[in-house]
Amino acid sequence: MASSPLPQLRPDLSSAGVFLVLRRMRIPLIVLIVIFAVSVLGLSLIPGQDAQGRPDRMGIFASFYFMSYTATTIGFGELPHPFTAAQRMWVTLTIFLSVIGWAYAIGALLSLMQDQAFRQALARRSFSQAVHRMREPFLLLVGYGNATKMLARSLDDMGRRFVVIDHQDTRVSAVELDAYRADAPALLGDARDTALLTLAGLGHGTCEGVVALAGDDETNLDVAMTTSLLRPDLPVIARSSSREVAERMRAFHVQEVVNPLDRFGDHLRILLRSPAAYQLMIWLTSAPGTPPPRRFERLPHGRWVIYGHGRYGDELSSDLRAEGLDVTLVHVAGGSILAGEGDSAHVIESGHVADAVAFVAATPNDTTNLWLVEAARRANPDAFLVALQNRRANAPLFTAIGVDFGLVPAEVIAHEVLARLANPVLMRFLPQVPHQGDKWAADLVDRLVETCGHGTPDLWRIRLSHDEAPALEGRLDGTSLRLDDLLRDPADREHPLGIVPLALLREGERTMTPGGEVLLRAEDQLLLAGRLRDRAALGTTMTEGFTASYVIDGIRVPSSWVWRRFARLDSVGRPR
Amino acid sequence: MNLEKVVFGFFVVLAATLNFGFFIGDLGNPELHSVYELFAAVVVNLIATVLKFGDRTQMGAVHLATSLVASLQLIAAAVTWTYAANVLTNGVLTAEQTSAVVSLSGGALFANVVSVVLLVVETVSFQRR
Repeated sequence: MASSPLPQLRPDLSSAGVFLVLRRMRIPLIVLIVIFAVSVLGLSLIPGQDAQGRPDRMGIFASFYFMSYTATTIGFGELPHPFTAAQRMWVTLTIFLSVIGWAYAIGALLSLMQDQAFRQALARRSFSQAVHRMREPFLLLVGYGNATKMLARSLDDMGRRFVVIDHQDTRVSAVELDAYRADAPALLGDARDTALLTLAGLGHGTCEGVVALAGDDETNLDVAMTTSLLRPDLPVIARSSSREVAERMRAFHVQEVVNPLDRFGDHLRILLRSPAAYQLMIWLTSAPGTPPPRRFERLPHGRWVIYGHGRYGDELSSDLRAEGLDVTLVHVAGGSILAGEGDSAHVIESGHVADAVAFVAATPNDTTNLWLVEAARRANPDAFLVALQNRRANAPLFTAIGVDFGLVPAEVIAHEVLARLANPVLMRFLPQVPHQGDKWAADLVDRLVETCGHGTPDLWRIRLSHDEAPALEGRLDGTSLRLDDLLRDPADREHPLGIVPLALLREGERTMTPGGEVLLRAEDQLLLAGRLRDRAALGTTMTEGFTASYVIDGIRVPSSWVWRRFARLDSVGRPR
Repeated sequence: MNLEKVVFGFFVVLAATLNFGFFIGDLGNPELHSVYELFAAVVVNLIATVLKFGDRTQMGAVHLATSLVASLQLIAAAVTWTYAANVLTNGVLTAEQTSAVVSLSGGALFANVVSVVLLVVETVSFQRR
């Protein structure tokens, strides 16, 4: 827990629902009590007679008994003696009174159950309890749009827990409908409210990070600020759609800012440079178990036409110019053709699409993008068509219209955030990928598919240190232990493990895909890709002396002390 | 003037006065303690308790607690009276039974006095501000 002052909410909220019920039920309850008291008192005072016709009063207890079973409609009859006419008149009145009293009280209670404020109080209460009970690490997801949905699904597949907060009722109910394996508490409310963020677990001991992917930048900025002020120890990943907001976030030491539109240009650049590198990048950042995506053909180099909106179009074109392309930029006012750009034929002509090699429709409006793509295809059937697909639900439309490369911002965000959350190591590896050349990336994809199968491999980092690899101590002098030998199968050392070394980090120097003949040294760091079971097997090699000697030297070391004495070996299996 | 406060004060004080009226007199003499007064005390105490529902302040919580105590004691007194009058004897209580009922209501009276004191304290501190 940070020492910063976090608003304390629990005692306040935990009983809010009860207090609301009590407060609203005051008058109905008093009405009931008064009706009951008047009825009982009246009945006990009215003269009656017993079975023999002698005058007799019922008394308070008998009246109370009679009223109890009459008012609750049980109706045992006229006890202890049949009533006189005067008593019956009084009882008739009390029956109507008590029915009105009950109807009023029950009606008030039912309408309270329907009351929005009451239900919200109840929902908040159960939410805060669910968050409070969290014992595992969990992420705080702000906003539940398309990107968050994809992210949440992947996190759930990986067995990670999360809490959702969104200001839209339908989205909060969607969390329930999406049926995650683990319980995912969701809160309806504005995340800009610090109290609600705290309620959602910002101050919780096992909260491991905050992901702000709300639709509007203001909320994201606010959440990022709040988190870095109150819990500076927590990592924050925030989405921003403008450079200014990103700058402000960074001012609050938020290192991870995801700008989907900015990434569009980056993706296109990588794709232009090397389709295989792009394929590798997308695959490694996908959800676990995803098959490798298709590899694009080399993109055409020549004149590109971009239809963009505002400064975003400028950025995209400068990105592409940096790749050595000839770019024609056409500004589309307000993101909509209909907003007074003249007639449509003129718009397409203004970009000279007919003799361009590629066409990019990157306005913030999907309808406009679709229309642009269609018009461009008619003007130039051979052009490579790129489109920004703002809404994920529109993807089939873009496929149907024949877009060659489409970028869905929600997917980009989900990939990026997932990669950052799941594999912080990966984020240091990925930026190097585009610089390694197309062939390297293509070979690596093939090798990964061959050794680890079609699903996205598990990525992890090992450090050959005393703590992480005690069994390798004494072998890490840079002369004896080959990387290949380390990656043998402890079950049968003739077989290699299904692990591909992606990078070797030694004294600040990085070697991409180190070969098997590399000699390992102490404090070397390796980024590995492979299946989970091979990861566990390598872990055994690194920590168990017996396994290590078998895997590396091929010597089966007796594990009991007596047999080791016979074999004249020491405790890690080296000859004495 | 706040009507809610008037109603609230009225019931708190009325609960205490009715309780006192029932309690006063020779502890063991059934003729000095009207059962209808006990009935009225129970009803008014219940109403006073309900009026204190849903107040989230510290003062409100103590108010509710004292009222609950008074109501419980009075209901216990009423149950004792009912049992004694209908099961043990035939209408007229013995001195022993009467004293049990009245001393229970005496306990309730103490809680009601605390309630009234709280009311007075609340009023006085409000005017000082």
